[in-house]
Amino acid sequence: MALADQTASGGAAARQAIPTEQEWLQGLRGRRLRKLIPIILGLFMVLLMLLAAIFAPFVSPFSPSEQFADYVLKGPLSGPHLLGTDEFGRDLLSRVIWGTRVSLQVGLGAVVVGFLVGVPLGILAGFVSGWVEAIILRLTDMLLAFPTLLLALIIVTALGGSLFNEILAIGVALTPNFIRLARSLALTIRENDYIMAARAIGSSPVRVMARHVFPNAVSTLVVIATLYIANAIRTEAGLSFLGLGVPPPTPSWGNILSEGRQFIQCCAWLTTFSGLAIMLAVLAFNIMGDALRDLLDPRLRGE
Amino acid sequence: MVQYIIRRLLLAIPMLLGAMSIVFFAMRILPGDPCMAMMGDEATREALQDCVRNLGLDRPLVVQYVDYMWKSLQFDFGRSLMFRYSVASYILSMFPHTLILVLSSTFVALLVGLPTGIFSALKRQNPLVDYSARIVALLGLSMPVFWFGIILLIVFSLYLNLFPLIGGGDLTTVIEMISDGEMFEYPQDFLAAILDVLHHLVLPALALGFTLAATVSRLSRSAMLEVISQDYIRTARAKGLAERVVVYKHALQNMMIPLLTIIGLFVAIALTGTVLTETVFTRPGLGKMLVDAIGARDYPLAQGAITVFTMTIIVVNLLVDVLYAVFDPRIAYK
Repeated sequence: MALADQTASGGAAARQAIPTEQEWLQGLRGRRLRKLIPIILGLFMVLLMLLAAIFAPFVSPFSPSEQFADYVLKGPLSGPHLLGTDEFGRDLLSRVIWGTRVSLQVGLGAVVVGFLVGVPLGILAGFVSGWVEAIILRLTDMLLAFPTLLLALIIVTALGGSLFNEILAIGVALTPNFIRLARSLALTIRENDYIMAARAIGSSPVRVMARHVFPNAVSTLVVIATLYIANAIRTEAGLSFLGLGVPPPTPSWGNILSEGRQFIQCCAWLTTFSGLAIMLAVLAFNIMGDALRDLLDPRLRGE
Repeated sequence: MVQYIIRRLLLAIPMLLGAMSIVFFAMRILPGDPCMAMMGDEATREALQDCVRNLGLDRPLVVQYVDYMWKSLQFDFGRSLMFRYSVASYILSMFPHTLILVLSSTFVALLVGLPTGIFSALKRQNPLVDYSARIVALLGLSMPVFWFGIILLIVFSLYLNLFPLIGGGDLTTVIEMISDGEMFEYPQDFLAAILDVLHHLVLPALALGFTLAATVSRLSRSAMLEVISQDYIRTARAKGLAERVVVYKHALQNMMIPLLTIIGLFVAIALTGTVLTETVFTRPGLGKMLVDAIGARDYPLAQGAITVFTMTIIVVNLLVDVLYAVFDPRIAYK
């Protein structure tokens, strides 16, 4: 189609369609820049959350548990309370800022758990065939029969709701995904000549996996892990919303939203702002993960 | 083909048993006695012992395990501690609510997700279309269904007063009228009952449907991109077919096959979504039942609900695999 257009509009246009080296480089830079914008945007949002979580005591205007008797269920911009207050007269903005801690801790912690358990198992399954692979794969299939939230829900129910148990539950629920991904990467990597070379000079299988397979898989794994942070944060919010997360009075976005649900008739700001926080957090990691994936590993694009 | 289907069936059995074992052992490490949790501290010793015996918790673990597996396969999950009637009958009465929610939200998701995904794949050279489609998909992917649900409730139920705040409508009446044949005797009542059910269904289906649409949009976009670069598409274009014909006749039909495989994944996501959606809209259904059962520590009910969820997902995956082999015979020979 493009060719037809060119011939139709004559030789001058055809010459113009072929870019000079300089134009080509500029175009490349332009494309790079366009890909960098979402990464910077996502990174900026993530950084903002990290800062809010780390410096919560200094950033938030009030303590998340301080109760202002004069300001019970007051809307946004009432007095010193920028986002309003809840049914105990606690400052919503402060609670949302402190809630960042729970979400980030669970998001990052769960992915670290899933990564540390799943990646070694996955590489092992991809590298050593036979009964080891069969057992790991069957176990993975079984766990994959449970959706992330359902599996996390079962584990949290069994262990009880706390920050640590949430991290553990969501981490375990994410593990089968990491196993599958690491295995498929290991399967491609092991076909390379350098693996054969490493084996030929007598490297042990463990050394080959740790020094040759893992380093070649790690960039892809980290990029995908970013996307799973988004997944973990959303799952945490879901668990908290169902009342199975961090127990109150510790503020988490999910339990602020869940408590605010009783007051949607009068005080919609409680659910609106806590939900907005969840969405922005998940969005930040999704944008960053998506963009990183496009940039670092074009093979995975569109998956 | 038959061989493939049999092999796939045989593979599903250990998966089902394994997943059920996970449920059993997870419920077994529950902190504290379920009886104690149910009855509270003031329960008498006799009552507690009675409860333990009723649940069969005094038997050896292996016996309990085999018993649970055997009975679950026969769809017998014991009796609910809260309601005193059998878990299976409770699940059966809840299942239709969840089923219509999953079906209707899938409909919404396909209605929104398929066209946007295909459109953004076909117009990917136009950055305005591609980027806006991707941004909308990202927003949908990031928006928690329970938050979107609450926003819908605030706007459409509280302020505009168009839809009910809670409940799922009288689905039982509808089903009874169908099975009794009363739908023909009292067509007006039947229509009213159906409208009532639909009235309750609109907001939950929209909430869940829109969040699922993001997934559908992304998957159909990549399926379309894959198909559009195939040789037969180039052939179709080369022989001078109109772009419209190429897209509708050649590309669309072929992209449906890869899309079919993700139905299993999709059902899993949708079922999980019902847990949150039903809770937000205070709608009866399996998901709400599971959450309530966990809250009340009604342990046979929770176990039954989780088992049914898992069974459904495994069975759907099995069906999809079989369908896939039917539509694309190459799969069976791999």
